[in-house]
Amino acid sequence: MSASLVGASLAQSGRWRGLVLPGALLLVWVAVAAGGGPKSAVFVSPGAVLAAAREAIESGDLPGAAGATLLRAFLGWSIGSAAGFALGLLLGLSAWSRRAAAPTLHGARQIALFAWIPLLSAWLGNGEAMKIALIALSGFFPVLLHVEAGCRDVPQPYREVARLFAFDRFGEIAFVILPAAAPTIISGLELAFAIAWIGTIGAEYLIGTGYMNASPDGIGAFLAGARENARMDLVVVGILSLALIGFVLDRAVVLASRRAVAWRRQPQ
Amino acid sequence: MAQAAAVVQAGPSGYGSAASPSSSPGIDIARVSKTFLVNGAPVEALRDISLAVESGAFVSLVGPSGCGKSTLLRLIAGLETADAGVIRVGDRPIRRPGLDRGMVFQDHRLFPWLTVERNILLSLRRTSYSEKQKQKIVRDLIALVGLKGFEQAQPHQLSGGMSQRAAIARALAPRPDILLLDEPFGALDSLTRTHLQTEFLRIWKHEGITMLMVTHDVEEAVFLSDRVVVIAPRPGRIRRIVDVPLEKPRRRADGAFIALKEEILADLNAAEA
Repeated sequence: MSASLVGASLAQSGRWRGLVLPGALLLVWVAVAAGGGPKSAVFVSPGAVLAAAREAIESGDLPGAAGATLLRAFLGWSIGSAAGFALGLLLGLSAWSRRAAAPTLHGARQIALFAWIPLLSAWLGNGEAMKIALIALSGFFPVLLHVEAGCRDVPQPYREVARLFAFDRFGEIAFVILPAAAPTIISGLELAFAIAWIGTIGAEYLIGTGYMNASPDGIGAFLAGARENARMDLVVVGILSLALIGFVLDRAVVLASRRAVAWRRQPQ
Repeated sequence: MAQAAAVVQAGPSGYGSAASPSSSPGIDIARVSKTFLVNGAPVEALRDISLAVESGAFVSLVGPSGCGKSTLLRLIAGLETADAGVIRVGDRPIRRPGLDRGMVFQDHRLFPWLTVERNILLSLRRTSYSEKQKQKIVRDLIALVGLKGFEQAQPHQLSGGMSQRAAIARALAPRPDILLLDEPFGALDSLTRTHLQTEFLRIWKHEGITMLMVTHDVEEAVFLSDRVVVIAPRPGRIRRIVDVPLEKPRRRADGAFIALKEEILADLNAAEA
């Protein structure tokens, strides 16, 4: 698609308004830098950031780090979501298991994610297993809670239809409860992904690997390394790439989930 | 009078008895009572109800809201269990829902994530028909209820009347012996309602099964039924059973039609007082 086409479609949809604020901030930044800028080591000009970005991309450091971060986030989210889904289903479908397990799980949910680090690192060390476990844990609770609530809150009239047609328990779950709960379950998966993405950066930043700033350690370690070496330009590059990747991922997840439960958006 | 057992038989004008000789069993309700707990306090919904509906008959239950008529329907469907008494379909006492009884609610209760076709198809999940037979049943029913061309529509794309047609097709799909209708046309505008009542008469004639309908619309009851059962409230009990000996299809402007309607309305008002 040509630039003019992109421009035309932006103008038509009115989405150009979303570009006004970042554009204005960029202009202010450029103006401050052009005026000499504050005399401080923590101020970097847009030009320096651009050069650092080119350097990080050409050396393969940034793409490698981004790839590693994405892989880690997906892996951790998948594991955490699968566990959350299974347990959420059990709790949502069986009042007995809900009474037995809910207090424990709601207690565990109150523990801040990074408070798990001392315990998990004692068990799993400071390596990859530990990071994945932390990311999985971050995605686990949102999925658990949404699946449980989604299954529990299926309207009684739908359950009665399943009874009238003599459905067995499996048929009721597969053809009535899960489809009816799908919108709630999917928003749980969306939320879990947003949290797992943040958890991934945190895990990469906080959990030492012994060889700072190597690509496989991800953008979190890229940031930690840039800070260690007092490279403010690389810190800004890392932050901007996080914003960009996070934004694209969020859009993709929202679009995918809208397609999955298109019926939900219609007036009933 | 109110607690007496009443036998309702399909009149000579009844389509149903002619279309279906003895294959479809009737309903036998014997001394049924049901009490609910509402905020901890017992509320007697039905007291000592006895009623027999013969195979192929079309019977309506009318009564003021809260008189327990819907509860009676839910008991027959097997969605609730009676505290006392027994309900039999054919010779078998009812314990749980079954494919021999279909039910249509005021809210269509179609699954919003499925198309019309898939909604009807899902009701056949526990039947032993082959996939090919199921497809044919769905196709035939969609034609019968006048939804041809809307097979792939989502429920939200349908009007109220069309949704109810789809709900009727879904309830009929497993070939029930009895169709229970809980104010099936209650949420529709009067023009659609009148039209669908006429359509429903045709569907009943085609299927030849026993129909038991709850309604608060006396005209609707007189238009469709062989017998109208008037229920008195608190606790719900049978007040009177009115024969409707008029030829079908009935004309609403007919003198005899209006007289019957007035008679039942007067009875209802007396029951409510």
